[in-house]
Amino acid sequence: MLGGLAVLVLALGLAARSGAVLGWGLAILGGEYAVLFAAQGRALDELTPVYAGAFLLVAELAFWSIERRVPAWSDPCLFERRLAHLAGVSAGAAVVAGLVLVVAAASGGGGVALEAIGVAAAIGTVALVAVLVRRTAT
Amino acid sequence: MTRAATAKLRVYPALAGLGLIGALALGRPELAALAAPFALLVGIGVLLAQPPELRMDAELDRERQLEDRHVALDLELVSGKRVDRLELLVRIPDGLATDEPNPRVIPLPAHTGQSLHVPIRCAHWGTYELGEVLWRVRDSFGLLVFEGSSGPRRRLKVYPSGETLERLLQPLETQVFSGNQVARHRGEGIEFADLRPFTTGDRVRRVNWRATARRGVPWVNEAHPERNTDVVLFLDTFAEARRGDTGTLDLGVRAAASFATHYLKEKDRVGLVSFGGILNWLTATSGTMQLYRIVDSLLDAEILLSYAWKDLDVIPTRTLPPRALVIALSPLLDERSVRSLLDLRGRGFDLAVIELSPFPFVDAGETEAERLAYRLWRLRRDALRSRYASLGVPIVEWSEGVPLEAMVEEVRAFRRHARVVRV
Repeated sequence: MLGGLAVLVLALGLAARSGAVLGWGLAILGGEYAVLFAAQGRALDELTPVYAGAFLLVAELAFWSIERRVPAWSDPCLFERRLAHLAGVSAGAAVVAGLVLVVAAASGGGGVALEAIGVAAAIGTVALVAVLVRRTAT
Repeated sequence: MTRAATAKLRVYPALAGLGLIGALALGRPELAALAAPFALLVGIGVLLAQPPELRMDAELDRERQLEDRHVALDLELVSGKRVDRLELLVRIPDGLATDEPNPRVIPLPAHTGQSLHVPIRCAHWGTYELGEVLWRVRDSFGLLVFEGSSGPRRRLKVYPSGETLERLLQPLETQVFSGNQVARHRGEGIEFADLRPFTTGDRVRRVNWRATARRGVPWVNEAHPERNTDVVLFLDTFAEARRGDTGTLDLGVRAAASFATHYLKEKDRVGLVSFGGILNWLTATSGTMQLYRIVDSLLDAEILLSYAWKDLDVIPTRTLPPRALVIALSPLLDERSVRSLLDLRGRGFDLAVIELSPFPFVDAGETEAERLAYRLWRLRRDALRSRYASLGVPIVEWSEGVPLEAMVEEVRAFRRHARVVRV
């Protein structure tokens, strides 16, 4: 259900060439993954790195699709370079996701202190990225 | 140079944040694993993003060109850093065009100059500035966009393409200097005019021996001398009819350039009066330099709205030399130019009016009232044309697609059959 909605919103975003709509589509797609875990309640999904790589690939391809079309002049390898870059980013995402899972599995049972550190790390990451984005974009 | 965030830079941190918060809320590390690549990609992308160090130089292969011909804009690009995708947009003003894709993308290695050749078609006459290139570079992860413009401006003058004229309009009267026009009066020349009895002072080489033998007394040949003429091109810039890229002013400029070229080739003196919101003039002179002066002046011709009443008195006296042929190029849309042309005729100038037809640029209208107004307007123009003709002024209607040669012939035919009225 959520997956279908995500595909629909993504299609809308592509048709309207709107980055914001694409963002909502990706968020719903990620939400479907979260709902799946909430429903199944499994311990750890080994396929998460594959999903993470594919998820980032979908996002990259979607944003590539709404870029302005500019004809390449004399270098036909620009397209191949871009594809190689995408493959690299996607593979890198899978590796990073795998590392996160390994760290999560290694941390064992957890606890209040670890959870607090996790919350602080999450907030810190988001804040850091937000600051970087703000500084760069202005 | 400007720097802007792409949509990706807004969406990815939001996705990362949602994923991390979801991971904490649900206690699922998989969501954190899903969010981490987005956060990492944004972090690395933003840290590594550097503005490009671009230098550009632009050269035109020529500064002057004729309409419908090509010039080449050569761009030299150097970057201090490697740029994978450099989007380039050569800013091409209206009136010029290129058949190459514009904008386009090229890769640019670091510290290695790259030359780009952009052929540009000169679609319309005018003065243009070329060489400005707008560029856009994205960082490696497509998060930031750097945009700027560079390149020195180069001036390009596109001259109107001329019409071929086999024969020119001959003025009623010639000037005193030698040229290629056969004068009406008699004197020293090549063109045979008449025979007359020998008088004291006649040169022996002028004696017509055949006539002398027949009459028993010496007779001599008379000839028409070859003289130059003064031609003034009177371009009406008060008003024009225009549709899209073409208008009556374009026709006028093309005709003026053609007449100037051909008359100057015949060693005549040519002047220009651009009569409109702004008055421009060039006194009549001969030579190649004068041709360049006239064409450069024509390139600046434009319609400027003005309510000020102007008549011939504002034109400097020397601009309209006596016994000059005045060729008026006018759509006859403005009362001031219509009156001025009648005034010129009244002052005894040898005048020919080439009416730049506004009809191809005007629709008859859809409603009955509009069509009636259109018909009345046409009738009024016919009446005006008759008024000029009754004053002995040849007036011909010229529209695009008709050779100028045909108009010249029409004027010649009028002058052959019409009596010149001295008013």
